[in-house]
Amino acid sequence: MADYFIDVLLDEGRLKAIQEAGLGDQIKYRFAGELKLVEVHVSEDTKNKVLQEFDTARTDSRNAITDVPVAFLRELYHQVVAKKSLGDDAVLAVLEKSAEIKDLAAKESEFLPAPEID
Amino acid sequence: MSRFLIKRPLPHGGRLVERVVRDPERAKKMIKGCPTYDIKPTLHYESEVPVRNVYREIMSICYGFFSPVEGSMSQAEVERILKERRLLNEWIFPYPLVFDISKEDFKKLGVGSGDRLVLNLKGKPFAILDIEEVWEISDTEELADKTFGTPEDNPEVVREKFNKKHPGWVIYKSLNPIVLAGKYTIINEPIFRPPFDRFWYPPRKAREEFDKRGWRTVINHQTRNVPHVGHEFLMKNAAFTGDLEPCHGILVNAIIGVKRRGDYPDEAIVEGHEAVNTGGYIKNSRHLPTICLWDMRYGNPLESLLHGIIRQNMGCTHHMFGRDHAAVGEYYDKWSTQILWNEGIPSFGFPAPPTDVPYGLEIRPQNMREFSFCPTCKEMAYSETCGHEREKLSGSFLRGMVAQGVQPPSIIMRPEVFKVVVKWWKHFNYPFCNEKYVINKEKELEVDLKDL
Ligand SMILES: [Zn+2]
Repeated sequence: MADYFIDVLLDEGRLKAIQEAGLGDQIKYRFAGELKLVEVHVSEDTKNKVLQEFDTARTDSRNAITDVPVAFLRELYHQVVAKKSLGDDAVLAVLEKSAEIKDLAAKESEFLPAPEID
Repeated sequence: MSRFLIKRPLPHGGRLVERVVRDPERAKKMIKGCPTYDIKPTLHYESEVPVRNVYREIMSICYGFFSPVEGSMSQAEVERILKERRLLNEWIFPYPLVFDISKEDFKKLGVGSGDRLVLNLKGKPFAILDIEEVWEISDTEELADKTFGTPEDNPEVVREKFNKKHPGWVIYKSLNPIVLAGKYTIINEPIFRPPFDRFWYPPRKAREEFDKRGWRTVINHQTRNVPHVGHEFLMKNAAFTGDLEPCHGILVNAIIGVKRRGDYPDEAIVEGHEAVNTGGYIKNSRHLPTICLWDMRYGNPLESLLHGIIRQNMGCTHHMFGRDHAAVGEYYDKWSTQILWNEGIPSFGFPAPPTDVPYGLEIRPQNMREFSFCPTCKEMAYSETCGHEREKLSGSFLRGMVAQGVQPPSIIMRPEVFKVVVKWWKHFNYPFCNEKYVINKEKELEVDLKDL
C-alpha cells in the first residue's frame, strides 16, 4: 500500500484508454458511478520530489497530492497509459519532464486549452 | 384571503429611489457650464491594481438597489453608520459609500458645497453629483477597521483583525482623502454590453416582472459563482419556504464587479445560472437570473445586510443565507450571518435581528445549510436531514476538474452549465479570471455610453 496518491479523473475518452491499458479493474466510481477516476500511488520519496519541484503542490487530509499544475496532471494521465501503470514509475516519468511542465505551468495562467464538447 | 399570505414588502425606506434623467435635452441643460471630472478606479494602496469603481455604486444608488441611499454620504452619516449602521434618516444600512478624490484633483477642480459636478465615464457624461458637503477622511485605515469591525469592538462575530489580505478592507484603506458628499443623478443611461444587458433588472423593472409573472413570493439566491448542482438543490429546496405555497419565484441576483483571480468570469456566472433554466432544471417561469453592480466588500454579516436591502428593494419576500455568506478568510465567525438574522449583533447596532429593529427590513431570512450527494440515499441530500456519509463537493475539486477540461458528471455540474463555462473559456482562453481578465474588466467595465 503506497503512502500517497494522485487522482486522475477520467472522461469517456480517457476511460477507454485506461481500459485498453489493462487498468480497467482499477477504476473507481464516485457520485453514483458518474465520476470515474484512477488513483496513482506515490511513495513518500516521490511525494517529496513532487512537492519540491512544484511549489503549489500540497497534500490533503486524505493523503492526496493536490494543486499540481494542470500540465502535470495531463502528463500523468499520458504516462499512466504509456506505462500501463498506476505506480510510482508513472509519476517519476512525469518528473523527468519537470522543466517542460514548469514552462507550460507558467503559461497556464495566460492560456489553457479549452476542451472540445458538443 | 388567508392571513398567512405574504405580501411583497415595500422598498427599504418606504419608496424606491430613482435618480435617472432619461430626457437628453433636459440632461444637457442640467450640466451646462458645470465642471467635469473623469471617474477613476480606486487603486490598491500598495499594488495599484484597480479594486473598486465608484461608477458601480452610482448605478446601484440611482436605480434604487440601495434605496433609500441617494448619494455620497456626509461625514455625519458615515459616522452614524460606523456607530450603529443607520443612515441619518434612521433606516439601517451597513456600509459607508462615498465619492472620494485626491487632494490634487480637489485643488484642480476648485469645487465646493453648492456646486454641481459632472461625472464622466469612459469619456462621456454619465452622472452629476450635487455637492452638499466636502469633508476629509482623516485615516483610511481607521475607516477600514471601523467599517468591518474588530475583535475587541465586535467580539460576537469578528475573530481576527482585518488586514491587507481582505479585499473589502483594502477598498476602504485605498480611498482618496477628500469626500464630495451629495446626491447623484444619472443623466446619460449607460448601455450594458451582452451578455449583461439581458440580466439588468433594476428594482422597478424587477417588481414589474414579478407582477407580470404573477409572483407573490420570491426567494433570492445570492451568487458570485457558476452554479453547480449543490446550488441548484439549495435554490429549489429553499423555495419550498413561502406562505401557503412554495415561493412562486427564485430570483438569482449575481453581484457583478471587480474580480479576484481564480473567480469564474462574470459572463460565465450569469449565463451559467441562465443555463439552469434553459436546461429545465428549474422552470424558466419560476426562475430569473439578474445582476447588481457592486464591488464586493466581503463583510459577511454586513454584506448579508446589504444583500437583504438590495433584494427587498427588488421585491423579494425571502432571502437565502448560507454558511460563510459573502465571506473571505476567517475574519468573521463562519455563522455570523445566521447570528445577525437569528438574534442580532449588538455591537453592530443590532440588539435584535435587522427584521426586528425600528426602520429595519421586512424580507424574511431563510438560513440554509448545504446539499451534497449521498451514495446511500442515491440523491442530493440535505446536510441536516440525511444521516449518511455524503460525497462532499469542494469548490477546489470542481475547479481542478474544470481546469483539466474533464466534463463534470451531471450530478455535479449540469452539462448545459459546463457548456457555458467552456464557451467563455474559449473566449478568454482561460476558464477563470486571470490577471489579464481582471485588468481588462476594469478598463472596459460592463457598460458603454453614448454621446449626450
Ligand atoms: Zn443519505
